[in-house]
Amino acid sequence: MLLLHAAILSLLIGAIACIALPGNRLRAAVGILSQVVATLLVLGAVVPVLGHQPAIIAQLNWSYPVDLILLRLDGLGALFLTFSMPLTLLGAVYAYGYLQPYFKSDRNIGVHYAILNMVSLSYLIIYSVENAMVFLLGWEIAALAAWLLVIWDYRNQRVRFAGFNYLVSTHLGLLFLITAFLVLFSETHSFDFGQFGKFLQHSSMTRNVTFMLLVASFGLKSAFFPMHTWLPRAHAAAPAHVSALMSGVIHKAGLYGLLRFTLLMSTPDEWMGWFLIAFALLSAVTGVMYTTVQRDLKRLLGYSSTENVGIACLGFGMGYLGLSWHNPVLVVLGFAGGLLHILHHAVFKCLLFYAAGAVYSATHSVDIERLGGLARRMPHTAIAFLLGGIAIAALPPLNGFVSEFLLYSGLFEDSVVGGQNRGLFVLAATVLAFVGAVSAFSITRAFGLTFLGTPRDPHIHEAHDPGLAMRSALYVLSALLFVFGLIPQVGLTMVAAPVGQFITLLHGGTDMARVLAVPLSLLMPIVAVGAAVLLLVGLLAAWRKWAMPAPAPAHRTWGCGYTEPLPRAQYTGASFSGHLASYYTTLLPTKLDSHMPQGPFPDEAHLRTHTVDVVEDRMFEVLDSGEETLGILSDNTPQTPRIAFAFGLVVLVGTIALVLASSGGRL
Amino acid sequence: MIVASLLLHGLGLALLPFLLPGVINRVKAWWGGRRGAPFLQPLWDTSRLLGKQPVYSVTTTAVFRLAPLVVLATTLVASLLAPMLPGGGLLPFANDFVAFAYVLGLGRMFLTLAALDTGSPFEGMGAAREATFSVFAEPALFLVLGTLALGSGHGTFAELMRPHGWQALLVTPLCALGLFLLLQIECARLPIDDPTTHLELTMIHEVLILDHSGADLAMMQYAASLKLTLYAGVLAALVNPIRVDDQPLLSALVSLVLMLTIAVIVGLFESLLARLRMRWIPQFAMAVAVVGFVALLLATTQPELG
Repeated sequence: MLLLHAAILSLLIGAIACIALPGNRLRAAVGILSQVVATLLVLGAVVPVLGHQPAIIAQLNWSYPVDLILLRLDGLGALFLTFSMPLTLLGAVYAYGYLQPYFKSDRNIGVHYAILNMVSLSYLIIYSVENAMVFLLGWEIAALAAWLLVIWDYRNQRVRFAGFNYLVSTHLGLLFLITAFLVLFSETHSFDFGQFGKFLQHSSMTRNVTFMLLVASFGLKSAFFPMHTWLPRAHAAAPAHVSALMSGVIHKAGLYGLLRFTLLMSTPDEWMGWFLIAFALLSAVTGVMYTTVQRDLKRLLGYSSTENVGIACLGFGMGYLGLSWHNPVLVVLGFAGGLLHILHHAVFKCLLFYAAGAVYSATHSVDIERLGGLARRMPHTAIAFLLGGIAIAALPPLNGFVSEFLLYSGLFEDSVVGGQNRGLFVLAATVLAFVGAVSAFSITRAFGLTFLGTPRDPHIHEAHDPGLAMRSALYVLSALLFVFGLIPQVGLTMVAAPVGQFITLLHGGTDMARVLAVPLSLLMPIVAVGAAVLLLVGLLAAWRKWAMPAPAPAHRTWGCGYTEPLPRAQYTGASFSGHLASYYTTLLPTKLDSHMPQGPFPDEAHLRTHTVDVVEDRMFEVLDSGEETLGILSDNTPQTPRIAFAFGLVVLVGTIALVLASSGGRL
Repeated sequence: MIVASLLLHGLGLALLPFLLPGVINRVKAWWGGRRGAPFLQPLWDTSRLLGKQPVYSVTTTAVFRLAPLVVLATTLVASLLAPMLPGGGLLPFANDFVAFAYVLGLGRMFLTLAALDTGSPFEGMGAAREATFSVFAEPALFLVLGTLALGSGHGTFAELMRPHGWQALLVTPLCALGLFLLLQIECARLPIDDPTTHLELTMIHEVLILDHSGADLAMMQYAASLKLTLYAGVLAALVNPIRVDDQPLLSALVSLVLMLTIAVIVGLFESLLARLRMRWIPQFAMAVAVVGFVALLLATTQPELG
């Protein structure tokens, strides 16, 4: 516990020093230093917990209304801290390179670093407290810090709008969370998670309502469909490292919340498992479908977060079913697969965002339709993006495949009883295969059009690889892809403690080694397959070099009759995905703005396509009409009480939910 | 036993990927009233190409040079997992069919990336088609194999191919039909793709490898033929009535005959059918998914599962 206190102190002192010290270079250095110290301290504290050590427990006495704050850092919290802290540190290092253009301006970079410290602080709170009030405090620190990080470039109206959109959405989620906590408070007269747990262990109507409220709130935090609309905007607007941290790390708190309350519930109902699986697959499918049509690289990666939290949640749904069917293998495979996927996604998503950020800082564009041929000018970035792409498409031999393989193993698990259940699992596996194929499609499109071929827009700046600060982040994460992909013991050891907690829910004590045995035996052949592919590629390359020592003759690309290939005639992002998108017009409506050439001597012609997000489109429509209705109502209300009126409305809705919930279905 | 199966596998790798396309071409030639090339003509073509230095476009990067290696390596690794000759792969493990599909997926990714690397609009078109159609074919494959996995123990390929009970009567024929249609999609045969045409606008696989030459082209072509062999092998193992545990040699022989029969059928299809219009191909893949779904429904009503 002492180590954690020291870490908090380091983050706070670092934050103050960042702002107060003179000179941007010094401020950034101090910020990074305080993060390094905090990360080392936290790792020192949590790594033993991931091993065989018991949870760290402490308590603080506070004044009314919080009273007693229980702190309990168990395996689940330890896992989330173990990847969140180092990845945030890496983000801070990357920011040193990414924000370099601002270093000479009169902006205080220290503020940015101070907020990054606050983000780390929020992890320490969220992942360790056992008290609903303090949990909400940490939740709010994370939300506000993320918002302030997103609007770094606040002079741009588009960025401000994206930030505001995020702020409103995240607070909508907060309302659900507060409502859930109030329902639980009304049942237990306590804000302590332990007391919540005592109530949640028994199946009741109130538990069902609370579960749905929690799923809504945590789902919004992690950007599940259809509550994802804030995400692509925020990710496109934020600096690259902020997008990376939000997508890979900060918003994993939503999934953490879900798992924390799963532990409190101990035995969930069967419908909850099926509901989570359906909810997860819906997110995975829609998220990945949206990635296929984006022309903004960072928006594309943003949508793929929706896909990947869906894949992770599929594992949790399986785990829920395992708990309610008393099937330990399914519990292990579901939770281990889901947790590993969270971990792996954090690594490859950060890598992809950092590579996209390198593209942005070199070319001032992330528009797929304008880029092209960057691999020649930025080889390091290209390799990093390609590796991240292979991982995100869940292809061997990198880490993405490891976690998805565990999920497939769970879905094809033969200890599941009942023909219908198994049939539904096969259908879920089919959907997962679809998601995998679409993911491969869109990352091929993104990488192929951005980095390969020839530049599409001659006005793009002469690009080059970024400086060492940014490159180092790319190197570290690329190496991690191989570590997690080829040595699954590393990832499995990290998730063993939390998975053990879920197994304990089934039958008392548990042996760590046995928890790991099943997934490890499933994964070892996969490692062999991945290694065999790498080895064979190496052997074949060596053979080709030996058989053909002379330098290969160079020629132009075969132009099928055209002597000189035209860069503008290359396939574009829209043409690449056009055929696929035409099969999903309800989900991916493409708006056309065209003026086609007409007559024998056509004048200027143009074609503009834009694929919109149906949910957001519809949401704004509803909001517009809702605003009209509210406007008519509030016009009849005097000016000053208008805000009170809005608050009253929110309170009314909350009260109704409370009454419904506390009646426990007796109404 | 292991040495024997390794030898058999090596022999299969060395011979079948040349023999099956040879048989298909011979059937097409006979149907067209020509005498046709020798059965092993693809082998001579490949050995000729292997001696040639590849030419690289100035637009291309290392991805283009890496692609033939990755495509060949992934297909070779996949051949260790699939029951090319009966009984299951050389390396059977739980859910190896998932690994089979994903390893081939890695090869496909590099195949399409290499096409985009040339900066040619024609190859971009091919890349988009290949990627798009795989989106429809991949879930269909999982539906078919997943249905077969329902009755098996740990879902190794070997167990998948041993249907039992009355499942064999209804589920297996449906799955076999699905696999055959998938073979036509995945291995770029008619009515999906025309392997003989030189019109870039209508091709999928051929246009993807338009810029590869010499040894690189040989690797790409061998990998494509090997993939055809693997799909034919899976299909043959599924319909093979002789259990490999009972009579390994006879079973291998029957599988070989079945694979050649599949090649003949593919050849007949190519002689008789015209290529589908591009926009019908996703529907074709969806038809496979429907076949798989019906098989799944039949399989889940089995008493021993319920």
